[in-house]
Amino acid sequence: MFETINRVKPGLKKLVAALRETYPYASVLAVADDSRSWGVSRSGTAISTPGMGGAGYVVRVFDGTGCAEYSFNEFSEERIPEIASTLARRLAEQAGALEGIAPLPTPVPADEPAALKKETAYRIHPRELGDEAIVERVAALRKKALAYDERILDAQVRVSYRAYRKLFLSENRDLDQTGMWTTAAIVAMASRGQEIKMSYRPFSVLGGAEVLDEADGGVEKVCADVLELLDSQPIPPGEYECVCDPETTGMIVHEAFGHGVEMDMFVKDRAQAKNFIGQYVASPLVTMHDGSAVEQTATAFFDDEGTLTGDTVIIDKGVLKTGMCDALSAARLGVAPTGNGRRESYERKAYARMTNTYFQGGEATAEEMIASVKDGFLLESPDSGMEDPKNWGIQCMVTTAREIKDGRLTGRIFSPIVLTGYVPDLLKSVTMMGVAPELSGSGFCGKGYKEWVKVSDGGPYMKARIRLG
Amino acid sequence: MIARIQKALEKCGISLWRVNETVEETAELFFVKKQLDTRRVKDVRKYEVTVFRDVEDTGGGRPRRGFTAARLVSSMDDGQIEEELRGAYYAAQFAANPYYELPDPVKAPMVEKTGPLAEAPLAESAGKMVKALFAPDVHEDAFLNSAEVFVHRKLLRILSSEGADVSYTDACVKGEFVVQCREPEDVEIHNTFFYDDLNGEALSGKVTEALAFVRDRARARRVLKSGKYDLVLSGNQVAEVLSYYQSRSSASAVYAKYSTWQQGEDVQGADVTGERLDVTLRAVVPYSEEGIPMKDMSLLEAGKLQAYHGPNRFCRYLGVKPTGFYGKLACANGTLPFAEMKKKPCLWAVTFSDFQMDAMSGHFGGEIRLAYLIDGDTVTPVTGGSVNGSVLEAQKAFTFSTDRYVTASYDGPYAMRILDVSIAGAS
Repeated sequence: MFETINRVKPGLKKLVAALRETYPYASVLAVADDSRSWGVSRSGTAISTPGMGGAGYVVRVFDGTGCAEYSFNEFSEERIPEIASTLARRLAEQAGALEGIAPLPTPVPADEPAALKKETAYRIHPRELGDEAIVERVAALRKKALAYDERILDAQVRVSYRAYRKLFLSENRDLDQTGMWTTAAIVAMASRGQEIKMSYRPFSVLGGAEVLDEADGGVEKVCADVLELLDSQPIPPGEYECVCDPETTGMIVHEAFGHGVEMDMFVKDRAQAKNFIGQYVASPLVTMHDGSAVEQTATAFFDDEGTLTGDTVIIDKGVLKTGMCDALSAARLGVAPTGNGRRESYERKAYARMTNTYFQGGEATAEEMIASVKDGFLLESPDSGMEDPKNWGIQCMVTTAREIKDGRLTGRIFSPIVLTGYVPDLLKSVTMMGVAPELSGSGFCGKGYKEWVKVSDGGPYMKARIRLG
Repeated sequence: MIARIQKALEKCGISLWRVNETVEETAELFFVKKQLDTRRVKDVRKYEVTVFRDVEDTGGGRPRRGFTAARLVSSMDDGQIEEELRGAYYAAQFAANPYYELPDPVKAPMVEKTGPLAEAPLAESAGKMVKALFAPDVHEDAFLNSAEVFVHRKLLRILSSEGADVSYTDACVKGEFVVQCREPEDVEIHNTFFYDDLNGEALSGKVTEALAFVRDRARARRVLKSGKYDLVLSGNQVAEVLSYYQSRSSASAVYAKYSTWQQGEDVQGADVTGERLDVTLRAVVPYSEEGIPMKDMSLLEAGKLQAYHGPNRFCRYLGVKPTGFYGKLACANGTLPFAEMKKKPCLWAVTFSDFQMDAMSGHFGGEIRLAYLIDGDTVTPVTGGSVNGSVLEAQKAFTFSTDRYVTASYDGPYAMRILDVSIAGAS
């Protein structure tokens, strides 16, 4: 698969060489793509080819103004002169229409030599398992959910994968990686009059259809959760002792803190974190990582700007050490890039983005945390979140808050729940951290309201004081 | 390429199909303060081929119909194209659902969008919008922190095995900008914009308003107490709340029984003391992606559902006319000037981190970035806290402003007042 990349590689090298005759730096990222999604719900069975990146090319050059990019999806050696002249013409047109606007000074990338060819592993390729078998497995999961209780209005089950090959070429770099992630999701629905309650359980692997084995074990939990939600009530707003499940910890890691240490925000003076490097921003129990030291959906060997990836320690025992950096921001800030320059697709700009982001494990158990709470909640099933790097405000939504009184779950359920507050206040209030971090990579992350990239996040169970509403 | 695809379809024995061709070019500009960060241009040509396959119904009824799609590019050779199509056709048999007719075919000349945005060079349009963006950015205390401007132009063509052949051109300008104010507290507000014409005046107005809001956020205090408030929402948040009615009336939601709404039903409820809703769905493109000619349709009149809307399959299942997916909601309501609306005590929530309407549960809410606590003559800018409301309760007593707000996806009242909404405070 992805032989097209082999076929076009010699031509792409010539393209880079041709562009280097005009520009002090030129690179090209070529992406080949294969994706499919299988879903079964009351609406029927659907097999689709979602646009999760697409196949194409993006050229990056530096000229007298700074960085410029050209995205296209038709390439052959014969087209090299046309591509070069189109890029030059359109940059000249744009310069004419932007008279008087100064460029943001950006050093030309060093383009240190590097070569690599790697691929991620999988057990069962979804294409090999085949459409028929996957639809059968997905339909069986739905059937099991519907049989759980007659109050289940519907169960939506979906499995998706994306396999890709990315080739990055510059004068001194030749990087080639092939990867695949697969996700599954079960959504159970039950109605209370016009109000439909939903419970959601995600599964994800850096790999293939083996994710279905994990999903098999999740049906009963998602069905039980949605039936409990039928008796849920709005929460009395206030600040409470909370135990976060690993997914909720992951959402706090990602939304509340992670976005604020994406270092393109440092360039724009949009992140408070810039002023807190070397300072305590969290409890000493908190150590935060981002990168490819773990195997999850965002694991990669190099990023979309040709920077090799690794393991970045963002917070070390409560002290903010560094952020995550794309190549352009690194050049502007005078630091080394961390392999976090990521694009939604070859058609989009690269920004500083998270990959696999998580809190390291501690020593407590979930049971110990619950037993230590006098009046609070166990927070489960994160729904969505939004970043606020500038002011470190929190907006995270979770579906379920289970009441804890005097160290025991009472069985009362509150939903939906909005988490608010000030990020350092929350992170400094962490008093217990669970043993084993769990990562989930079922979703996509946006930058603001767009630029969706695959990420994973997580952590262990965590106890903190949080404002709920 | 179209001819190659048609030849490959024939060779693969695929008799039911639709081809969507999209040619898109963009000019994209990224700024940090007033400095040019990055320039991007894009030229792509994509082909999505949807293949349909009928399979025998084991119950002896009409055949079941499945479909799936293949994404193709012209650099594929004929063998690759055939392989992709065969793979999609094979998969389609396992996605078989109850039978439905394909859309009635339409053959028509290209519908070309006119006007400066559609006709001027992309770079020129981008330059004009950039000038409009920065024009109000002349103050020391509040300023543009960063911005992105995208000018898109597209040509779309839809062909089908049933004889459809329609095409149109489209253009839009969209983007985002962040405004910042450093004193007394260093704060920012994130904004998005989306216009289907070269509306520099609207963009300048939006920036001017955002600069005023960010000044107020800088002096806003975390003094909001938890409780019930009469809530005023404005701008995009009004559109978001009203999106509930579009979602619940979609043929796909009704077919799946996620919505129980019936045509003619008073979906706003019987005990309404506020304004009764008049909502229209506006066609923003001449044809849906399935090639269905799109026309404006009345959705709600005096709170009563007039018609379902949606893609071909689900409309066919419900026995209603397929309409395609609508990209713009218009609301005719409005009885009170906005200035009057915010005279009575209320919380006017201006910006959120991410205001969301959950059409399934009916809940709306988000974390407040800036709100004005209005109590008679006292107006206090506040920040923090969150809104957690239910449209099922709120719809009994909506009041809308006579002031209007127009974007590429909304045309309706600028503001709405909702009674007794639960607010989690920040203090």
